[in-house]
Amino acid sequence: MTTYIHRYNALQRVLHWTVAASFFVLLLSGLGLFAHAFYKYFDFFGGAERGILFHKWAGIIFLVSSILLFLGNVREVCRFDKDDARWFAALGGYLSRKKPHLPQGKYNAGQKLFGIFSILATLTMAATGLVIWDATAFDRNLTQFSLMLHGLFFILFMMFVIVHIYLGSIGNPGTIEGMLWGRVKPAWAKKHAIKWYKEIMGEK
Amino acid sequence: MGRKVFMIDTSRCTACRSCQVACKQWNKLPAEAAVNRGSYENPPQLTAQLYNKIEFIETEENGEFKWLFLNKRCLHCGEAGCIKVCPSVGALYRTAEGLVGFDQEKCISCNYCVNGCPFDVPRYDANNKVTKCHGCIDRVAAGLQPACVKACPTGTLLFGEQDKLLADAKKTGRPIYGEKALSGLGAMYLLSDKPQSYNLAENPKIPTSIFLWKDVIKPLGILGFWGAVGATLLHYVTIGPEQLEDVEYQDKEGE
Amino acid sequence: MTNHWIDIRNSDVILIMGSNAAENHPISFKYVLEAKDKGAKLLSVDPRFTRTSAKADLYAPLRSGTDIAFLGGMIKYIIENELYHSEYMQLHTNAPFLVNPDFKMPGDLDGLFSGYDADTRKYDKATWSFQRDADGVPLRDPSMQNPNCVLQLLKKHFSRYSVAVVSDITGTPEEKLTEVYKIYASTGVAGKAATIMYAMGWTQHTVGTQNIRTMAIIQLLLGNIGVAGGGVNALRGESNVQGSTDHCLLFHILPGYLPTPKASWPDLATYIEKSTPKTNDPDSANWWANRSKYITSLLRAHFDSNLTAADGFGYDLLPKLDDGQNASWLMLFDRMFKGDIKGFFAWGQNPACSGSNANKVRKALTKLDWMVAVNLFDNETASFWKGPNMDPAAIDTEVFFLPIAASFEKEGSVTNSGRWAQWRYQAAPPLGNSRHDSEVMNELQFRVAQLYKNEGGAFPDAINKLSWDYGFKGVDGKIHHVDIHAVAKEINGYFLQDTEIKGTLYKKGELVPSFAFLQDDGSTSSGNWLYCNSYTEKGNMLARRGQSDPSGVGLYPEWSWCWPVNRRILYNRASVDANGQPWDKEQPVIWWTGSGWKGDVPDGGWKPLSQPGTKKSFIMLPDGVASIFGAGMAEGPFPEHYEPLECPIEKNPLSGTKNNPTIKLFHDGKDGLDEDVFYSCDQRYPYVATTYRVTEHWQTGVMTRNIPWLMEMQPSMFVEMNPELAKEKGIKNGDWVKVSSGRGEVDAVAIVTKRFRPFKVQGTTIHQVGLPWCYGWHTPNSGDSANLLTPTIGDANTMIPETKAFQVNIEKRG
Repeated sequence: MTTYIHRYNALQRVLHWTVAASFFVLLLSGLGLFAHAFYKYFDFFGGAERGILFHKWAGIIFLVSSILLFLGNVREVCRFDKDDARWFAALGGYLSRKKPHLPQGKYNAGQKLFGIFSILATLTMAATGLVIWDATAFDRNLTQFSLMLHGLFFILFMMFVIVHIYLGSIGNPGTIEGMLWGRVKPAWAKKHAIKWYKEIMGEK
Repeated sequence: MGRKVFMIDTSRCTACRSCQVACKQWNKLPAEAAVNRGSYENPPQLTAQLYNKIEFIETEENGEFKWLFLNKRCLHCGEAGCIKVCPSVGALYRTAEGLVGFDQEKCISCNYCVNGCPFDVPRYDANNKVTKCHGCIDRVAAGLQPACVKACPTGTLLFGEQDKLLADAKKTGRPIYGEKALSGLGAMYLLSDKPQSYNLAENPKIPTSIFLWKDVIKPLGILGFWGAVGATLLHYVTIGPEQLEDVEYQDKEGE
Repeated sequence: MTNHWIDIRNSDVILIMGSNAAENHPISFKYVLEAKDKGAKLLSVDPRFTRTSAKADLYAPLRSGTDIAFLGGMIKYIIENELYHSEYMQLHTNAPFLVNPDFKMPGDLDGLFSGYDADTRKYDKATWSFQRDADGVPLRDPSMQNPNCVLQLLKKHFSRYSVAVVSDITGTPEEKLTEVYKIYASTGVAGKAATIMYAMGWTQHTVGTQNIRTMAIIQLLLGNIGVAGGGVNALRGESNVQGSTDHCLLFHILPGYLPTPKASWPDLATYIEKSTPKTNDPDSANWWANRSKYITSLLRAHFDSNLTAADGFGYDLLPKLDDGQNASWLMLFDRMFKGDIKGFFAWGQNPACSGSNANKVRKALTKLDWMVAVNLFDNETASFWKGPNMDPAAIDTEVFFLPIAASFEKEGSVTNSGRWAQWRYQAAPPLGNSRHDSEVMNELQFRVAQLYKNEGGAFPDAINKLSWDYGFKGVDGKIHHVDIHAVAKEINGYFLQDTEIKGTLYKKGELVPSFAFLQDDGSTSSGNWLYCNSYTEKGNMLARRGQSDPSGVGLYPEWSWCWPVNRRILYNRASVDANGQPWDKEQPVIWWTGSGWKGDVPDGGWKPLSQPGTKKSFIMLPDGVASIFGAGMAEGPFPEHYEPLECPIEKNPLSGTKNNPTIKLFHDGKDGLDEDVFYSCDQRYPYVATTYRVTEHWQTGVMTRNIPWLMEMQPSMFVEMNPELAKEKGIKNGDWVKVSSGRGEVDAVAIVTKRFRPFKVQGTTIHQVGLPWCYGWHTPNSGDSANLLTPTIGDANTMIPETKAFQVNIEKRG
């Protein structure tokens, strides 16, 4: 019985979860630098100085794995068509119980947007992170500006990630299976990625 | 208790540098190897072993030659950039007297204060911990004058109640640097020349980016975080998830 | 100082010239700034714009060594504009005195006064005298109009010092001269006072004494001596140099400024007769007439009290100078260089760096058999044998080093520039093997006395008959702990027998209340008559810490003690008019109430000058008045500008006499040591140089170079020069340069600064450079002393070396 459709290979899944894990390490180790309210989070790492060290290493892992993940999907992610425009116009139909017909490829327009935002944000975070790696290494204004951008993009990233997690889990039942085990139900594929579904079914 | 501040009357400074030495003596700061680079001014910058120093400034204006002396130190800003950017609670802090103190045990060596300071004051020592003029907190707490003030023979350096020192300074009619800036500097200059002659920033400020970061992005970010979480939850209970069963049902209908 | 530090705050105008008070006397600026707060004007005159100039209302540059020209112009300005204080001059100075008509001045004699003998380089002073009446009292013209009176002669003499002429000598812009003159001369009215703060910038010249004379004349013209905020104030270069001078630091005086005996004064009676000043003026107190009491009491303090009048109280035991002998610094090292001196105590000094022409000094040390260096730290003198250009194998001098306690490690008194003797306590015990100076001297005296006793020797009594009662003697006869209070009490003096004075009986062993009680019959002792009154039966006056100021002018009479007899302002009877009323009603020093004086301790308690039976106000001088005409000077009763021995110009613009005609020339152009050759107008050494100290280091730096905090601020030898000269020589700020004179060279970092400016003198541009003398080879990488460059030449009166004006060359170090 071919109940399931293959969606992600093992490498992609490992990369995704590497990105995810390093993101949460960055989050926990970075919050202490973000606001005094979260300063206690450094205790997870045995103090602020080690927390900062974790943050730096996790940042490198996050950067590298994010780039690889992006490159693995770059063809799918960076391709928009008229259906995507309609998807955006209807905001993916998420704001209503009445579902419009919005045929999408492997990734819907929102996912693609998230992918592009992620890589841009990652690069920004990395660039600013390197500037503030040693806060005395660069010009004072550049360092201050970088700290600000780093904080700003962290916020935006965080918000995107919250939505991502929601939509990838309870918001869209069945989605997470693809990232956990690499396959989705045909019904899921038909509902969320009909064009992709037809493509791979046609190939068969 | 009112705020205690330094008032530095540059018209009285003879650059004898008792302040430099007295500070080193009280704070047990070692000397550094120095070379004469063609000036009396030495060391050239504040360092982790030099909390205050005299700048020697030679200027000429309308044919009149001037030699100006400025006591460079932590100005104990009312709104302190270093405290603002410091992630570690209590590593940089305000004392009961209104001075900006530091606690090396709490310093996390992030260096943020170094460039959060509008006056380029904080330094890191050999252990990579913050150091700077702390206004001789220990002496002040014991009712003594800071070491530099005690050693100053001419009354250039004064330390005391902000109201009184400001009132006295205003009587001279000369420009006061830092009365209003950064919510009032904890070390103000009573200048004998215009601020630019002393290479003092005309309008010292905490960099806008720090302000944006700490006062805009941070609160908005926290709002954004909870906003995003709230929005998803709201979505879940109002619109709800996209059940796959619906799709299957629709598919069947369509077939 | 005639006045004292705190008194500076009472001034209306402060002239800082020949000193750099902000840098070298930083505490004085507390009072300078207080004066400024009250509206005083601060004038800074210096070849270099200093930290003092930075605080001044007006800065005027002058070429080193031209101070007399600068001030001579001021005298002309004051007299010709009649800005002087006539009444003051008539009462308190010799301005109205009539001078011998045969007296001739430099304007007539091409730079010389009458009586010069070119062979001996000395003056016959016969014509430098006053016309006297039949009783020998000087004739006066109270109107001061007689062409032979002092004021008119002074006017004539300085009429040659026009602003244009002065500017052409000093290089000071004319308008700056006039401005300084105008501001300073504004204090010639009653109620206004100006003060002068000077130091080595005036003394260390071949005309050093006359520099100060010129200023003294100005102060007398303006009525500024004796008043609050006035005076002539020497800023002493060490905390206790006033004290050491009072107690006979110099060869020509005994404690209390008594002259050193000469070989031709064989006994005490001759000493007294020859050295006691005399006057025929019944109105002159001539205080030095008491000399017999002071020398006798001194001898009684010095020597065994069993000596009697028949023994001259030990006069024979005092060392004597040969007639005409000069035993000043330059002469001592000259003799040492020539091998005449075998042993040397370098006690608390570092001549290898502090001595002018230090290379000569260093070579002189190699000629010694032995040297004892007594100091806090090893230094260039103690280790001279391993210094630069020395071959230790070829040097036979045996050197001993005695480590000594610092001033903070001992109890005793320090006398500051304002003549305050202040008692200080030990703050910390001496480190390691170091000892108090007094303990070392005690040990030396004991051991030398033992050697005399055990081995005999020539002239033992000079040591063995010293009175030496400075503590409890053990069974071995040795004092194991010097009681410094016993020394202080001996300086004050005791009654040596029961004595009745003015109806009061003073018991044997009691301390003498003041020098008015000293006797010349041997019944009193006093180690220094000027300090008699400092440690009395009332206690140690030096240790007083009373802070009351009843005068309101900052006299603080109960704070420590001040010589003489706690008089805080010298010559204070000149601060009042003939009726005893102060010129300055707001800041009176003393005033006559009708029955007595109030305020400071008056300079003699006589009634005001308008009342019969009084004495004149300058009691230390035979004529009883201050000397505008001062015949005691070697080179003339009035100052005259002469160029420094080494100078950049061919001719003295004022006369054909280029240099001070009475200085001792160590090398006359033909004969003399190679070390002493001088180089005037020599193209090899075209730049004027001067030396100075810096705030961060003290003297030769033996103490301060051992304090890393101070080395951090001023790490090494530097030479300051103006940008024009630097450009000419291809030198950039911070470059290492070689500074050389005919006597040596030093490496220094160039500080290129507009604080030095080129001088326009006689149509040419003259550059001046300046160097500190606080460094020495013993401190690694610090450089060496500027005194390697300075010449062997001294002032005609004092022989203080001319280190403030000499010629050098500079080159960039390759």
